[in-house]
Amino acid sequence: MIAEEALVKELKQKDSQAKAFEVLVNTYKERLYWHIRRIVLNHDDADDVLQNTFIKVYRNIDGFKGDSKLYSWMYRIATNESLTFLKQKSKKMGVSNEELKTALVENLQSDVYFEGDEIQLKLQKALATLPDKQKLVFTMKYFQEMKYDEISEVLETSVGALKASYHLAVKKIETYLKAD
Amino acid sequence: MDKKKNTFNTPEGYFDNFHERLMDKIDKEETTQRESIIPKSDGFSVPDGYFKTLNQSIVERTKQKTVKIIKLKSYRKFYYGAAAIAAIFVLVFGVTWNEPESQLSFDDLASAEIDTYFDTAEFGLSSYEIAEIIEVEELNINDILETELNKENILDYLDENVDDIEDLNLEYNDYE
Repeated sequence: MIAEEALVKELKQKDSQAKAFEVLVNTYKERLYWHIRRIVLNHDDADDVLQNTFIKVYRNIDGFKGDSKLYSWMYRIATNESLTFLKQKSKKMGVSNEELKTALVENLQSDVYFEGDEIQLKLQKALATLPDKQKLVFTMKYFQEMKYDEISEVLETSVGALKASYHLAVKKIETYLKAD
Repeated sequence: MDKKKNTFNTPEGYFDNFHERLMDKIDKEETTQRESIIPKSDGFSVPDGYFKTLNQSIVERTKQKTVKIIKLKSYRKFYYGAAAIAAIFVLVFGVTWNEPESQLSFDDLASAEIDTYFDTAEFGLSSYEIAEIIEVEELNINDILETELNKENILDYLDENVDDIEDLNLEYNDYE
């Protein structure tokens, strides 16, 4: 793990900014990519949102006060960017958020960057039925293997509420997967 | 006679090994969860070499010029516009001034212009983008609503529209 405080300091200084930003991108690009990809589902969209996220981090680093950890601040930006992206996409297509989610899952069947089988496709369908927050908690815990404390910092929700949310999500997904 | 005396009993040594039994149960639940029917991988992949070329794309984009943000609070330019239109009206009506009881005043025109601008202009700002510009601390929910919200209305709305109290993400104490 990189020393966050030192990195933030370097990011705020003009002479060390470029090098520090490269370190930042290298450290977090994969983790943030997978976080975003699991929200927007499509690779090209995930790439757009990921780049926007890093640009926002780069342009707003002076405003980062260090009240939270750098990674949770970046995860928050990535989450907001992804959800905003989906909202704008549904608005452009003239469909509801739910209709868009269903369409995105349907598109996975012909997506060359989705190698999932029938059960994995069904899992995506199950995830599309969950409320946004519940889906986020589930993917962050189950696939990204984040600790509740970390998720709590990103989503600004108590650990107890997260545990309840995760438990509910697991039950709903299992019920969906068991159904014919 | 002590009325508060507990009349319930527990099996012998119930509390002595409570912690061990609880941990056993948690272990069992976690094992069951590991054996869950939910697949461990979600099947997503990325193009070959994507992460290697990503840095370059991001660095190039940081060098592009920042898009100018329209400040919502800046009304000055609307006043300029309104003043220009008012000047035209003064000119036109100044030449053909036959009706002394004209209803138009500068103030009416200015606010009408501003209202029309906000009604017709497409800002294209999402709530997230607006939130980035406006300091939340400076805002009160009633500043942006035409009719003031009261507690009763809020409770009625939540009662009718929220199926699951968990969706509200209210903070509550840990129970575990």
